[in-house]
Amino acid sequence: MEHEIQLLWAGIVMYVLAGSLAIVAVVLNKRPEKTILGLLCLGLLLHGLSIGLRWVRLEQGPYLTMHEILSSGIFGLLFMFSIAYWRIKPIRPIAAVILPLLFIMMGWLVLTDTAPGHLPPTYDTTWLVIHIMFGKVFLGAVLIAVGMALVILLRRFGLWEEKFSGLPNDRRLDDLAYRFMAIGFIFETLMLIAGAIWAQDAWGRYWAWDPLETWSFITWVVLAFALHLRVTLKPAPVRGAVLILTVFGLAFLTFYGVPFLSKVPHQGAI
Amino acid sequence: MLARWWTSLASLKLTLVIFILFLLSVVLVYISELSPGWILALPFLLFALNLSAAITTNPKFRRQTGLLVFHLALLTLVLLLAASRLSYLKGSLEITEDEAFDGLLTDYEAGPLHPWHLDEVHFTQLTFTIDYDPGLNRGRTRSEVLWLDENGQPHESIIGDHHALIIAGYRFYTTHNKGFAPTFAWLPKGASTPQQGSIHLPAYPAHEFQQALDWTIPGSRQRIWTQLVLEQTVLDENRPSIFRAPERYHLVMRFDGQRRELHPGESLQFDEGRLTFVGLKTWMGYQVFYDWTIPWLLGACVVAILALGWHYRQKWAARPWLAGDEDEGTGR
Repeated sequence: MEHEIQLLWAGIVMYVLAGSLAIVAVVLNKRPEKTILGLLCLGLLLHGLSIGLRWVRLEQGPYLTMHEILSSGIFGLLFMFSIAYWRIKPIRPIAAVILPLLFIMMGWLVLTDTAPGHLPPTYDTTWLVIHIMFGKVFLGAVLIAVGMALVILLRRFGLWEEKFSGLPNDRRLDDLAYRFMAIGFIFETLMLIAGAIWAQDAWGRYWAWDPLETWSFITWVVLAFALHLRVTLKPAPVRGAVLILTVFGLAFLTFYGVPFLSKVPHQGAI
Repeated sequence: MLARWWTSLASLKLTLVIFILFLLSVVLVYISELSPGWILALPFLLFALNLSAAITTNPKFRRQTGLLVFHLALLTLVLLLAASRLSYLKGSLEITEDEAFDGLLTDYEAGPLHPWHLDEVHFTQLTFTIDYDPGLNRGRTRSEVLWLDENGQPHESIIGDHHALIIAGYRFYTTHNKGFAPTFAWLPKGASTPQQGSIHLPAYPAHEFQQALDWTIPGSRQRIWTQLVLEQTVLDENRPSIFRAPERYHLVMRFDGQRRELHPGESLQFDEGRLTFVGLKTWMGYQVFYDWTIPWLLGACVVAILALGWHYRQKWAARPWLAGDEDEGTGR
C-alpha cells in the first residue's frame, strides 16, 4: 500500500516537471522535447507500476472508487498524449496547455480517499475492462484535440500568439484536431458498444437510460454533430475549437462528474 | 415534385437539425418519466428518411465506399431498433425453490408485436446461494435450475451473474431481489388432498425488518397476517456469509383477533379448512428479456465502425499527419 502511494507521488512529480518544463519552453521559445518526453515516460512507468501493484493487491481493476477512476483516467490521458507527443512532432508545444489541465485532475486525485471499494459481481467481467479502455482512448483523443483548440483560441484573442508561432497554422491545427475528434468518435462508439454488451450480460438489458448512459449518449450526439457540422458548413477554426471544448466539457462531466455525484459509476444498477 | 422532396430530405443541414432533435429528445427522456420509445420515435424516423434519401441521391456515396457502408449500417441499425421496440419483452418474475415457472410475470413491458411464447419455457428453480462480504456487500449468485430444451430433454445449469438462462429466445437473469417463502399445506373442509403453496415475504435483506405479509388463503375468505421470526443471524454484517434459508425460525400469525406462533409441522384450524406450516423456502427474483435483434444490432454496429475506420483511413491517407501548412508563415 505504501509503495503504491510512493510510486503514484513519484509519477505525479514527473508529470509536473514535464508540464512545468513544457510551459517554460514555450515562454522562452526553447524546445527541450526529448527531456519532456522522457519525464512523461518515466511518470507513466511509475504511475503504471502504482496502478498495477494496487490491481494485484486488491484483485480488482482501477475503476471502482473516485481515487481509482481519477488515477487510471490521468494515466490513460497522459498515455494517449505521450503517444501523440512522440509521433506528431509539429504539435508538441500544446503540452504547455494540456499538462496544466491535467494538474487540476492530479490535485483532485491526491485529495481522494485511497480506501478500496467493493467489487459488485456485475463488475467482474472482461467487457468492463474493454469498455473502460475504449473510453480512455476516446477521452485521450479528445484531450489532444482540446490542446490544439486552446492554441487556436489563444491566438484568436492575441494571447501567447508569438509563443505558439512554431505550431502549424490554425487551418492545419483545426484539421489535425478534427482527426483526433474522429478517432475519439470511433472509440466512444466502441465504448458504448462494449458497455452495451456488458450491461446485457450483467443486468439483462443493453440500454436503460441510466445517468451515465444518458450522458455518454449526449456526448456521442454532440461529437457526431461537431464532425458533421465541420463537413457540412466548414466553420472557421475558432468555431470548430469552441465545439471541441464543448465536447470535452460534456465528456469530462460524464466521466468525472456523474460518478462523483452518484459516488459509483452506473449507480443503481450494481 | 416527389423527387424534389426526396432530394430535400437528403440535406446534410437537415442531419444537423436531426442531431439537435436527438439531443433535445434525450434530455427530455432524462428529465421526464415519459417512455423513451415514443419520445425518440420522431428523430429516429427523420434520421431513417434523411439517411435513405442521402444514400440514394448523394453522389459522394458512389465515390466513397467506406462512407456508403457506414451509412447503410446506420440505416440498418435504425430499422433494427424499430423492430426491437416493436417485438421486445422486458419483465420480472419470482419463483420459489423447487417450483416450476408457470409462464406468469409479476410485471412487464412489451412491444405490440411480441410473439408471446413464454408457454414454451419450462424450468424449475432448484436451490440458490448468494455470497455476502462484510458490510452486507452482495457477492456471487449461484442459482441452480432444471430446464427442458426444445426436444423435451432435461438439463441442469447454474446461472447467475453474467450467465443467463436462455430458452426459446427468452433470457432469464438472476437479480438482487430474493427473499424467504414460508410454505403451507391447505386442506379445505371435506377435501382429502391438501394443496401446497408459498407466500413471498418482502425482499431480504433490503426489507430485513419488514418480514411480514397480509394474505388470503386461496379458495377461501380467511385473511392472515404472517410474520417470519428468524432465530439465528442469516447475514452477518461483520463476516462473510451466504444467503440461504435458516434452520431456526418460526411464524407469528394474526387472524380474527388471535395471535399464534407456528413452527414447521404445526397447523391452524379454521372454519373453512386446516392450514399447516410445512417449512421455510427461499424465492428468487428474475428479470426476463426477449429481443431477437440483439445479434443483428451488434453486427450492424461492428460493420458501421469498421466502415467508418476504413473511410477515415482513406481520407487521411490523402494528406499525411505530418504534412506542412498550406499557407506557411501566416500563423493563422
